This record gives sequence, C-alpha cells and structure tokens, in this order.
Amino acid sequence: MLDTASAVGKAPDRGDPPGPARSRRLRPGPYLLILPALAVIAVLMLWPIGQIGVMSLQKIGNRQLRGEPAENVGLEYFRTIFADPFFWQTLRHTVLFAAVAVTLTMTVGTLIGLLLNRLGRRMANLVAGGVLVAWATPPVTAAIIFSWLFGTTGGLVNWLLDRLPDALVGGGWADYNWFATPLSTYTVLTVCVVWQACPFVAVSVLAGLKSVPDELYEAARVDGSGPWRSFWTITVPLLKPIFMVLIVMSVIWDFKVFTQLFVMSGLANRDAFNLSLYAYSEAFGSLNPKLGMGSAIAVVLTLILLVVTAVYVRVMVRQGETA
Amino acid sequence: MKYTRIAATTVAIALAASACGGDKKDGADTGKDPARLKVWMMGDGTPEQTKFLDQVETEFRQKHPNTDVQVKYVPWPQVATTFQKAAAGGEGPDVTELGNTDVQSHIEQGNLLDISDQVAGWADAGKLNKTALENDKADGKTYALPWYGGVRGVWYRTDWFTKAGITPPKNWAELTAAAKKIQDAQKVPGIGVPTDQTNALLSFVWGDGGDIASKQGGKWVGQFTSPQVKDAVSYYTGLITTDKVAPEKYVGKNELQGPQTDFALGKLGMYIDGSWAYAQMKKIAPKNADKWAVFPIPAKNGGNAPALAGGSDVAVWKDTKAATAAFDYATVLNNAKNAAAWADISGFSSMRSDVRFSDPRLGVFTDIAANTKFAPISSGWGEFEQSKKVVPNMLKAIVQGKPIDDELKKADEQANTLLNP
Repeated sequence: MLDTASAVGKAPDRGDPPGPARSRRLRPGPYLLILPALAVIAVLMLWPIGQIGVMSLQKIGNRQLRGEPAENVGLEYFRTIFADPFFWQTLRHTVLFAAVAVTLTMTVGTLIGLLLNRLGRRMANLVAGGVLVAWATPPVTAAIIFSWLFGTTGGLVNWLLDRLPDALVGGGWADYNWFATPLSTYTVLTVCVVWQACPFVAVSVLAGLKSVPDELYEAARVDGSGPWRSFWTITVPLLKPIFMVLIVMSVIWDFKVFTQLFVMSGLANRDAFNLSLYAYSEAFGSLNPKLGMGSAIAVVLTLILLVVTAVYVRVMVRQGETA
Repeated sequence: MKYTRIAATTVAIALAASACGGDKKDGADTGKDPARLKVWMMGDGTPEQTKFLDQVETEFRQKHPNTDVQVKYVPWPQVATTFQKAAAGGEGPDVTELGNTDVQSHIEQGNLLDISDQVAGWADAGKLNKTALENDKADGKTYALPWYGGVRGVWYRTDWFTKAGITPPKNWAELTAAAKKIQDAQKVPGIGVPTDQTNALLSFVWGDGGDIASKQGGKWVGQFTSPQVKDAVSYYTGLITTDKVAPEKYVGKNELQGPQTDFALGKLGMYIDGSWAYAQMKKIAPKNADKWAVFPIPAKNGGNAPALAGGSDVAVWKDTKAATAAFDYATVLNNAKNAAAWADISGFSSMRSDVRFSDPRLGVFTDIAANTKFAPISSGWGEFEQSKKVVPNMLKAIVQGKPIDDELKKADEQANTLLNP
C-alpha cells in the first residue's frame, strides 16, 4: 500500500524530462494506469481500516449492525485495554512468539534454500516440491493436523516421546497435555507456523542465490575462505535486500497469527491468547458481540504493524539510494 | 473465446452483487404464504434428524402448500458468528432453533420477534414447561418456545463396575472411591473432569446447595466465594490434583475434546455427558456400546445433584417477512406427535408435559431431568460463558496451582460485571 503511495509521488518526476522548456503540465497517463489498483486497494483495505477505526470508538452489538444508531464512547475502549493487565499479557505473547517464530523461520528457510542450491537439478526439484506442499497447506488444515499430532488421545508425538528412553526425555509423555500451558501451546504453534512459513523463505533465498555469480565463491575459495565465512561475507551481504523483505513480511505474518492458535487452543485457554485471538473473542466470541472493543484491539495491532511497515519502507528507500 | 469469458465473468459478478444486495428485509409480514421458509437447526444434522424434519415439512405444507421449507444446520461451535452475520447481513433464517442459555442474549441483541400474541393464541402453549418458558421471556414479552431439554449424567462401564464390585455412587465420597477402584483395576484414569465444562461444575455446586450467582434487588451478584461454591470447586479440581483420579490431560478442554472418545474406546472410567453422546460413541466404538450406562451426578451428601437444563428453544427471527408461516412451522415442529417422535430420535426430553420417552434405556435421563436448574437468566451469560469463559478459566488456574481464594474472588468480580450488562 505504501509502495504504491510512494510511486504516486515519484511518477511525475520520472516522467518530466530535465529540460526547462517543458512546462509543468499534468500528464494523466501514469495516474490513470495506477487508478484501478488504487481503487481496489481503497475498497478492499482503506475503507475497512477506516471502518475499524470508527467502530473502535463506538459501542456496537447486533442491534447496531441492524441499523440502530451506535453510541459513541470516545477513547473508552483504549483506556480499558491499556489499563488491563490481560492486554499486556496477550501483547507479550504476540511479540515473543513473533520474535521466536521469525528467527526460526529465517534460519530453517535459509538452510533449506542453501541445500536446494547445492542439490542437483532433479533432487532440488523433488525437495522444492516437497517443501512447497507445506506452504500450500491451508492454515486450518495445518492446525488440525498439528493438533492431532500433539493430541492426548492417539497423538503421534506423545506416543513417540513415550517410547523414547526416560533418561533422554523424561517420563509421563503418554498423557502430556500440550495445550494446558501457554509455553507448551506456543511451542506447538511455533513448530506449526515455522513448518508452513519456511518453504517460502527457502524458495526466495534460492532465487537470490541463483543470481549470485559463482566466480565470487570461487575467488573466496582461492583466498582460503571456508563455507561459513563465504556465507557471511558474500551470501548475506548480497542477499540482504531479500532477507530484509522476508524478515519484515514474516514479522507481519507472525504478529497476526490467528487460525492455527484458534483451532489448536481455542477460546477456553485465555491464558494463551495473542492479540488476534483476544480481538476475535471480544468481537465474535459470544452472542453479545462487542465489536467496538474488538476493533480497538485490532487498531492497536494495526498500528504496531504500521510501525513495522514504516521501518520496512525506510529500509527499502535507503537501499534504493545506495544501490 | 476471450470475450465470451469476460462476458461470462461480468455476468457472474453482477449476479453475485445483486444476490448480495437485493434481499432487503424490513420485518413486515405480508400475510401471504412465502415461497420459501428458511429454518435453521443447530448441530451437525444426523440422517434421522433430516428424515424427521422432512416429515415435519410435509405436515407443515398441508397448511402452507406453496411454501418450500429449507433447513440449514449450523454446527454449535459456529453459532455465535453465524447469528451475528445473520443480524448484520440480513441473510437470517425465518425460524430457528436456539440454545436455551443463549435466548436472553438473543433478546438483548434484538434478534428475535416478539411472539407473545401468537403464543397466547396457541392452544398447546399451556403444556410447555413453565420454567423453560420463563427463560424465553423478557419484560413480560415472549420471544421463543421451549422445544426440548437435555441433561447430563455420569457415563460408566457396567462391566467394570460389576468386576470391581461397585454400585453407582450416591455421594461425592463414593464417586471418588469408585473412580479410584476403576483406576486401580483397569489401569485407566477413573473419571474425566475437563476444565471447559461449566455444566458439570454447576451440578456439583448445586449438589452442595450453592449457586454461582444470585439475584439481589434486580442485580446478579457472584457467589463464587460462598463456602458451598468453594467446596464444590475444591472437590471438582481435587479429583485431578489431590485425589489423582482424573487426568490432567483434559485441562483447557471440553468433554468432546478427549473424554468422550477415550471413554468410548475404554481408556477412561467415567465421564459426564448427555444422552446424545450415545449415538456419537456408538460410532467411535460400536463393540463397547452395550456396556455403557448412566447414573445421575450425585449430590455431596447423597441424592441427585440438580442438572443444568440444557436444551433448545424455537424462535422466529426478527427480520422474517413470514412471521405467520414461521410461527406455524414452530407449532407443527412442537406438536404432541412430532415432539414425541423427536424425543425418541434425539434422546432429548420434550419440554411438553404430555410427552414422554418410549425407550426405557433413557429412563435415567427422565429421572435426572426431574431435577433441573438454569444458569443465571441474564443476557450477559453469553459473554460470561462463551467469550470470557469465566468458569473454565477459573478451574484451569486452580488445577494449575493458583490459590483458590484469589480465583474465586476474580470470578465473583467478573460475574458482578458481566452478568449485569
């Protein structure tokens, strides 16, 4: 969204030839070209975001959805949220989870990307096809699979852990309830989300690696540099733009993880809520919807993500300047 | 080729757009037979239920021959969001089943049509359960009709009880002892007490003579810190923590997320569920089906603990254009003949005083149903139970070692605010 906005600002500059002879006549061509995209973005994103903003200041239930006028409550919901320790707990869960999940996604994804780059053509296709299945799995499906894997009745993970020697993993795994505490719940959630997200990172990294000339690595080898050093001095700097984009996108995705947590842990485990689930439970969790309250939480989440996006845009612009 | 495709897409989009926008309703009843009557039923809809509803439709069409009845099943976990969408988008039902603990929330949210006059004009209205009908009223107006009720009991294995020489427990001490014996003899957890099962805890609270909230001067006041509730909560969580006859693996879960399957497969001694569980368990483990039986949840010092009167009501949706036909459907659905048929098919007790089960196997549920109570009749119950999950979260925290007095106090505070919206 912001990319488009910056493109709007730049378009006339690029279009204007440097000569002073041309007047500053408005050239509608570029604007017309981006108009459809802007219109779609406005309808699908800007308008709903605006609505959420308005709703976060109003008391809205089913009656208001039917058309009864909504009562304005000003910033009451935001005051309630910020005074509530429960909000800070969900925020902490959201941030910690994103930090761990993004780190793991990037690490595992990059390793798979490097592996794919080293493999022969046929094997690389096979592995790439395999990991892409994980990426193509819908979140609900993935969540259901993982809640079965980690289930207490007939779950594969508990069965395996129970069969391993006690000296290695400790005993009592047969009935271990992964969704009883926030830490274990988020462990499962992290595995599930990373499993789904790392293929995309892998493929993107692979695409980047393909563009790095082999000569660089050869030269490094001749100079006596090992694979570890080559990775940090050649691969990382050259792929930095790709890594930056991937990290920011992963942060955004992992901040708003909802489906998997909702399916696996549900509304009954409030102690494991993240911001998305908290917003959902307020807005849609019962027959007395508090859409205003849910919107207020969503606004907070959106603002956090806008800050992340702003950092991202800044990084992109900087890279554009130096490149 | 290309142009044909574009044209086709355009037409499709236009159709979709008109389908979304063209169905504005204003709640007026034209009096004429509608072409279509939309009926929403809750749950997943068994083949038996579909067959039963087909018969109801046939009977209904004798009076409204030009009306096509369209039944849609709404799975219970999606109920809140589905009704919310119906209120927001105007694509709601004409007549719908409702969970009885949700009726007050629906009334508060303005989802239901005031049917006081129609009910007054219905000859059979006097046969409906009085307490249940009270739950369907607000400010003296009636918004729904009680349809059927369900109560829960303790499912157990007759063969295991016989082998261990146990008779169905009559009080809490015997219940713990029975669980212990089964656990020792069969090497399976004695009883399943999931923390996300408010209805079970309510029975224990009521079986100790307490209640989680009481109405004082028009306001609900939380009673969690009362000695009876504390006693019941200690007993319930103690089955897991101190008596160790219930496993920790059901913490944060409800009776369907483990206990039911485990019990059916013979991996759990006892668990609490309703008559409707029988059909589901038969699907899981048909070979064990003849070994299951039920006894009422015991009160602390003997006798049956009151059970939560769960169940469903029928209501006319506020946006309907066919209020007359919708109410006619409700009365056909709940006439004496169909109510009796439905009780036998579903295993739920009818809310009509003139209808009884014909199957003796379900007799025990009729006994249990003789002693029922309601959750606090407040429009805030929806939030208290569904989104805030006050009781489940309190139980979970206590099982996981938080001080019981703090948690009870917190629950009281939540009850005081949420039950008085």
